[in-house]
Parts: sequence; C-alpha cells; structure tokens
Amino acid sequence: MLTGALAADLAVNGLVTGLFYALMAVGLALIFGVLRIVNFAHGEFYMVGAYAYTIVAARLGVPLAVALPTAFLFGAALGWVVERTLMRPLYANIATWGLMRDEYAVIVTFGLSLLLVNLVDKAIGPYAFRAPALVSASRIVVGPALMSGQKVAAAGVTLVTLAFIALFLRFSYWGRAVRAVSQNRLGASLAGIDATAVSSLVFALAGGLAALAGALLSPIINASPDVGAFPAIKSYVIVVLGGMGSILGAFIASLLLGLVESFGAVLVSYQYRDTFGLVLLILFLLFRPQGLFGERGREV
Amino acid sequence: MSGDIRLRREFIATALLLVLLALLPLVQRDVYWLGVLVVSAYFAILASSWNLLAGFTGQFSLAPAAFAMIGAYGAALSATYYSVPPILGLIIGTGAAGLIGLVLGRIVMRLKGPYLALTTLSFAEIARLVASNSINITRGDLGLPIAGWFNDRVLWFYVFLGALAFVICGLYLLLRSKAGLFLEAIRDDEIAAARSGVRIVFWKTAAFSISSAAAGFAGALYAYFASLVTPELGLVQQTGLVVSMTVIGGMGSLIGPVVGAFLVYVTSEWLRDVGGWQLVIFAALVIVFARLFRTGLWGLVTAALQPRRGKPA
Repeated sequence: MLTGALAADLAVNGLVTGLFYALMAVGLALIFGVLRIVNFAHGEFYMVGAYAYTIVAARLGVPLAVALPTAFLFGAALGWVVERTLMRPLYANIATWGLMRDEYAVIVTFGLSLLLVNLVDKAIGPYAFRAPALVSASRIVVGPALMSGQKVAAAGVTLVTLAFIALFLRFSYWGRAVRAVSQNRLGASLAGIDATAVSSLVFALAGGLAALAGALLSPIINASPDVGAFPAIKSYVIVVLGGMGSILGAFIASLLLGLVESFGAVLVSYQYRDTFGLVLLILFLLFRPQGLFGERGREV
Repeated sequence: MSGDIRLRREFIATALLLVLLALLPLVQRDVYWLGVLVVSAYFAILASSWNLLAGFTGQFSLAPAAFAMIGAYGAALSATYYSVPPILGLIIGTGAAGLIGLVLGRIVMRLKGPYLALTTLSFAEIARLVASNSINITRGDLGLPIAGWFNDRVLWFYVFLGALAFVICGLYLLLRSKAGLFLEAIRDDEIAAARSGVRIVFWKTAAFSISSAAAGFAGALYAYFASLVTPELGLVQQTGLVVSMTVIGGMGSLIGPVVGAFLVYVTSEWLRDVGGWQLVIFAALVIVFARLFRTGLWGLVTAALQPRRGKPA
C-alpha cells in the first residue's frame, strides 16, 4: 500500500509542515524556558502576523522583502507590550505571588487570546482575507515530491530564520543570556544578567516568530480571526514532546510531528489525524514529562 | 471559624440572588430574554462546577465545556438509540461525565499548573474532534437532534434555576463539611496537607469527578432545552467564557461564578444590539480583573462593605 514514491512524497510534505510548526514552537519553548509559563495566546500572534502581512502587502502594495519583516516587527512589538504589561507580576515580587502564579499566567494569556481574536473580528471583520502570493510559480518539484510554490518559498524563509535564531542563541551575548536565564533565573541575575530584559526579549522574539509564521502561511490558509487556534495547539504538543523549554527539542519534535501527521493520515486514519498529536501530548505528560530532550527533575 | 462564616455569608447571598432571579419572569416574559436567562443559568452551573476545581482545589482544568458536551451527548445518544425518558437521560449524561471525569481526574492527579492546563485542553479537543468526526454515530457537526421535553420557556427557566440551586446547595454542603477543608488544604499546600493526613489522591479525584458530573448535568439539561446537540458545546471558546465569568465574578467564592455568569451573559446579549463589542470588552475585563482585582467583583463588593462595619478582614 505504501509505495516508495508515496512514502517519499509524504516524508517531504511532513518535513515541510514540521518546519512551519517549528517557527511557532521555538518561540513557545523560549517563553517556557525563561518564564515557566505556557503562552495560551501564541496562536493569536500568528493570526496578527497573517493580518499584518496581508494588509501591508495587499492594501499598501509594499514589496515582499518589506512586508515580511513588517509582520515580524509587528508581532515582536505586540509581544514586547504584552510582556511589559501582563507578565511582570510573574517575577516582579515572586515571594508575595506564590500560590496562584501558574493560574494567573493561564488566565491572563487565555484572556489575551480571547481579546485579540474578538478585537480583530470586530475591527477587521470575520471574513477570511486573501493574501498576495510569495512567488508566482504554482508548483515546484522538490526531490521526489511536487509541492506548491508558496510552501517551498515559505519553507526557504523559515529555514533561514531558524538558522539565524540558532546562531543568535548560540553565539551572541543576548542569546547566551537567554539560555542562562532559562537554566537558572536567580543565578543568571547574580551573574549580572538583566533577567527582566531577557524576558522582554524572549516575548518579543517569540511574538515575532509566530507572526512571521502567520505571514508566510497566509497565502495558503487565508487570514481569519480564529486562524491561530490550530497552529497554537500543534505547538503545545511540540513543546511537550520536545521537552518543555528545550529549543533543539522543539525543533526536532516539530519535524517529528509533521512526519507523524503526514504518515498517520494515510496509514492510520485521515478523519482523526488531528488527534494523534493531542494523544501524544497526554501520554508524554503522564509518562515522560521531560519530553524527548528535556532535562529530568523538573517539577511537574 | 472565619472561613465557615465567610462561606455561610456567601451561601446566603447566593440564595438571595437566586430568589431575585426567580422573580424575573414576573416582569420579563419575552421568549428571547427567557432563553438568555436559561443559557446564563447553564453557564452559572458550569462556572460553579469549574470553580470547585480551580477556585477551591487549585486544579486549573481547561475542560469544563468538554464535560458539558459529554453530558449532552450522553443524554442525546441514549435518547436517540435507546429512546430513554428525559429523567433517565439526565442521569446517564451526568453519570457519563462524572465517570470520565473520575478517570481523567485520576490520570492527571500529579500534574500542576501549565501541565494540567495543557493535558485537560488536549483532552477537551480530543473529545470534541471525536464527537465531530464520528459522523455515523453523532452525525458530526450537523448535530444530533433530541426530542424536546416541553416548550414553556418560563418553566425551563425555573428548571434551570432549580438545577443551579441544587448544584449550589451541593457545593455548599460539600465545602462546609470536612471535605471542603481538605480541598482548600490541598490547594494551599499539597505536601503539608498530605503530611497532615489528607488523602490527596482520593479528594483530588473526587473533586474532579464531582465537578465533571455537575458540568455534564448542565450539558444534559441543555441538550433537552436546545433539542440539538453539536460538538460546538465543547469548543475551547466555551471554556473561555466559563473562565471569564468565574474570574470576573470572583474565583474561590461560592457566589462569584453565579454573579459572573448572569452578568457576563445577560450584558453581552444586551450589548449585542449596540455593535457587538461585548466579547472584546469581557476579554479585556478578564485581563484587568486577573491583573488588578484578583478577588473579582464579589471581592470588590465585600471590600467595599468592610470599612463601614469598622472591622478589618
């Protein structure tokens, strides 16, 4: 049933989908690493990015090379504002906060998600928006598979962005600061790292990456207010699979989930393809909460 | 004990509120507005049941809407395939939700904070996807029709109000007993509670199951009211509404979710006529309340009453 050609086709498609997931999941993992919270409004940054790109590129007629970074900057600015206004209580005075810290984070990001969805719904409208194409070619041959030109172009931009983020985290001062704060907030602060600035940076970066993902995919899945729910759920699954807070884990788990879904849809069940990841999430949280690549000993 | 006095005061306030609500049909007999009140009562039951978990036990579940959907399908499926009478359908729906809640509650026992939120969210999505994709059993997104019980909207309002009163009384009795003390001890410090001899596994699982059963009960009742059950009942946005109502009304108090549910839902229907910005306003309110007024409206009210009596908390 599964011929070589089909398998190759599924593999390429799964990996490309996984790349898009990674753009979302890496940001979520960064936030979890630094702040120890799950951002339940992550999908809305994706949605905002899709709208920013569509409006800037289609309405104002700005060229692609400007429209994509605009979407990124818009998401980043939103992320920065959110961190400044809503996330500060999480670590401003940790001692008095104590008990309800996790609940506060869930409520406030959940509320933010509702707010952004309904705000866009009222301000712009509930109808799907058609975004201008990234490239003119409709079909491109990638190795053994035939793919939509949009996807190939988006995957290319994604790869470059992810490589850039990896280099940033590995070598730059601020990248090392992010990793230090993820490992130990207090220790990093004692070593002179501005942990508050790192939190802002991480939220801005994550918002920007999610917005970029939305912008890149908007020509394929037209922007609508609730468009972020789906990729957000995928990225929750991925950060759990990869080990909450692990960046490399999130990247690898993204590709894995892309493959699992692409093969699972053909081999197991097409109807229930969206439940595979969710079942994996529950199983992982129960039996291997540190994920595939996370560290042991985290409080669960 | 001050906790007991506080709880009793909240219970009396809730009872007064319910009596006031019961008088509403005297002045408002419009079918549309009665429907709005019925849905408000439905949400009040959901919010109260969620509050038992999130507010009193410290288990932040994101699945209340899913359990309401399970209860609704429990009633609708048994009515469709075995043509059971409504009373039995209600029991089946409630029981199904309670049983699934028992299993899920036992499984997620160890999880906290974001991990619990993610697991329950995934469970809710799986339940919804299964309901909407099992087309040959549930008719998928088309929804499963179920023979209505009766049509009188005033009567429906009183049925829902009675159900809400029943749930509130049950919660009050539960929280007033030793169990309430155990649950709050678990919320405040699980390890200390365990060392003091509280049976953590038993009480956390029990709270999860009771809360799920109450949500299922609301869902089953709603199924007979709406005479159509769709997977939309289990949407995460519905859970968002439940959370919003509880946070705005006052989490961790008996009356908060009831106030929040009626206030949010009735005002949002009322605002619908003036541009439909209601959901934007409520989402913003949730954030403002969570950020600045953590005790909700009820907390603000009690704080405002406090100085006049001249005694600090």
